[in-house]
Amino acid sequence: MSKTKRLVLLALLVAMAAALHVLESQLPIPMPVPGVKLGLANIISLLAILMLGWQEAVYVAVARVLLGSLFGGSLLGPAFVMSMGGALASIFIMVYICNNYEGVFSLVGVSLVGAAVHNITQVILAALLVHSAGLLWYLPYLLLFAVPTGLFTGLAANYCLAKSPAKYGFKN
Amino acid sequence: MLTKADKWLIVVLVIFALSGIGLNIYYISGESSQARSVVITVDGQITKTFPLRQGYAGEFRIGGYNGFNVVEYKDGRVRIKEADCPDQICVQSGWISIPPQQIVCLPYRVVIKIISDNSTDVDDIVR
Repeated sequence: MSKTKRLVLLALLVAMAAALHVLESQLPIPMPVPGVKLGLANIISLLAILMLGWQEAVYVAVARVLLGSLFGGSLLGPAFVMSMGGALASIFIMVYICNNYEGVFSLVGVSLVGAAVHNITQVILAALLVHSAGLLWYLPYLLLFAVPTGLFTGLAANYCLAKSPAKYGFKN
Repeated sequence: MLTKADKWLIVVLVIFALSGIGLNIYYISGESSQARSVVITVDGQITKTFPLRQGYAGEFRIGGYNGFNVVEYKDGRVRIKEADCPDQICVQSGWISIPPQQIVCLPYRVVIKIISDNSTDVDDIVR
């Protein structure tokens, strides 16, 4: 892939991730546990890891949270801290699994781990923000919902990858 | 499409989540009959504590960082009735009445927690 193509693809992924991030915060899906989200932007993070590599995937995650928070109006607030923390922790763990356990976990498994780590990080950050260890009681409820949402984003990423041109299928 | 490791991962996550939820529910049900109080903290500082009893009702306003939350208590339950925070998660949390249930308003760093007056609350021991 030429340098220009990579750059354009990176920019497209950032734009899509930021759009999904904003869209998701506006979706009025009634969730039984407050704070549960689908994690749509994670689809793009997974695609970035597979199409471009780990550094670009981190760029996409950071740029997505910055832009998404800017558009959504939560820049530098507590919601921003939680988004950024969750996004960074999940992207690093997903990259680690992609690199070291290729073939052991499918894309769906990687997505599940990412979703779980995202939730764990966010609950810990929220507990630190409000100075209340009792908030950790939310974690089991969030992890239960991380299973269907992680499955969903993993499958969605799988379909996106299957439909994309073969030359974008793997790194470099 | 799913590998063996994926399926194990799902099983482990579900078992961990369900056991955590079971523990939480067990913990809640064991405390339901005791006398209890409401503790409101803003940014980690306790700003208000009052007993939660049947037959008492009322509402008051607390200022968080730069907004407000209206707390309503009635028939031994408490909720955030109204708030001007952007996400409204605290309002959607609804009524709580049993320790260690809590309502959190993250934008204003407000935590409303039910504690048992017999003080078997784990958080207090940890703290």
